[in-house]
Amino acid sequence: MSGRSDREARREERLREEEQTGTAERRQKLIKVGSATAFLALAAVAVLIVISQSQTSGGDSNNIQRASEVNRDLQGIPQNGMGLGNPNAKTIVLEFADLQCPVCKGYSEEVLPQVIESRVRSGEARLEFRNYTIIGSESKPAGAAAIAAGKQGRGWNFVEIFYRNQGSEDSGYVTEEFLTAIAKAAGVRDIAKWNRDRKSERVLAEVAASTSQAEELGFTGTPSFALKGPGTSGLETLGTPGSASALEAAISSAS
Amino acid sequence: MKPPAEGTLRGIATFLATFGIGVATYIVIADSGGGAPVCIAGGHGCQTVAESSYSHLAGVNVAVFGIAGYVLLLGCALLRGDGARMASFAISLVGFGFSLYLTYLELFTINAICQWCVVSAVLMTLLFATNTIRMLGYVGTNR
Repeated sequence: MSGRSDREARREERLREEEQTGTAERRQKLIKVGSATAFLALAAVAVLIVISQSQTSGGDSNNIQRASEVNRDLQGIPQNGMGLGNPNAKTIVLEFADLQCPVCKGYSEEVLPQVIESRVRSGEARLEFRNYTIIGSESKPAGAAAIAAGKQGRGWNFVEIFYRNQGSEDSGYVTEEFLTAIAKAAGVRDIAKWNRDRKSERVLAEVAASTSQAEELGFTGTPSFALKGPGTSGLETLGTPGSASALEAAISSAS
Repeated sequence: MKPPAEGTLRGIATFLATFGIGVATYIVIADSGGGAPVCIAGGHGCQTVAESSYSHLAGVNVAVFGIAGYVLLLGCALLRGDGARMASFAISLVGFGFSLYLTYLELFTINAICQWCVVSAVLMTLLFATNTIRMLGYVGTNR
């Protein structure tokens, strides 16, 4: 009787030891799998970082791209200062944007061309570019350079070519060489005058004033739009219309 | 040192992941309206970060990836077993690593801090710590 219970006790102990050994082995094995998983997870992070970094190219003063395309698209549309379109148009659309802003770049490439062709080229509305410098310190000299180009009737060419060659924000790409290359590609004829203008107190104050105006209008992002016309009661804010047709509809109701 | 009970760790992870879903969803909603999250303490930090090219990955707001990560982590926190322990560890490691990178960008590249992004980074760090303790403490056990 006692011999049998001893055997059972030993058996139970052996089973317990085997279970513990099995669990320990299983844990060891799973922790090794966990280490491999950690390696894969870190590889996934590296891939995400590479994707994130690769989407910010541009900003190369020796390789200004798509200038001829921009100059061709804007050809024949009157420009006055930072205004694009009929200077006597009754409807005026103000675009508050930052030249370093990638969302503005996307808007400029995907939404504005349709509006420019349908409403600006026809003379129905005039589009006015206003600096709203929120990205960083390099936005101000870029904005001032655009205004200076506008004084020679090439403001919109400058803005659009800048967007198409935009670099990573505040990465140091907005150099004298880069701005000069954009100005030349935009067709600014008198570079010496453009240099004087863009560094003048008056132009720099204009950049600051339009940024203050955007804040006073309650805008929290770029690009943001406001418009005025016969159908509006003064300057009305639009925010960021989601599509070209939404902006066209707003122009229609303002006209 | 004995780790906390797995139920406690799962409860903490559930709370953190739910909170994270709320924060990331707010960022996506604020961004989708063409605006930016509102910084509670004022300033333009959230706006500057939202306007940055780094706020999107392959055209998708990074907060959308954040929502997906937090939802997966919530699922792992609610499930038992080794699969959930390993998955929660791996997902939170990816989230933690990417949060570190985004915080680095805010500090040294964008030169602006968005409080909502900081909250999300802290949540992801806590989730990584919680899920690492859970994985190392309980993987391979039958509990």
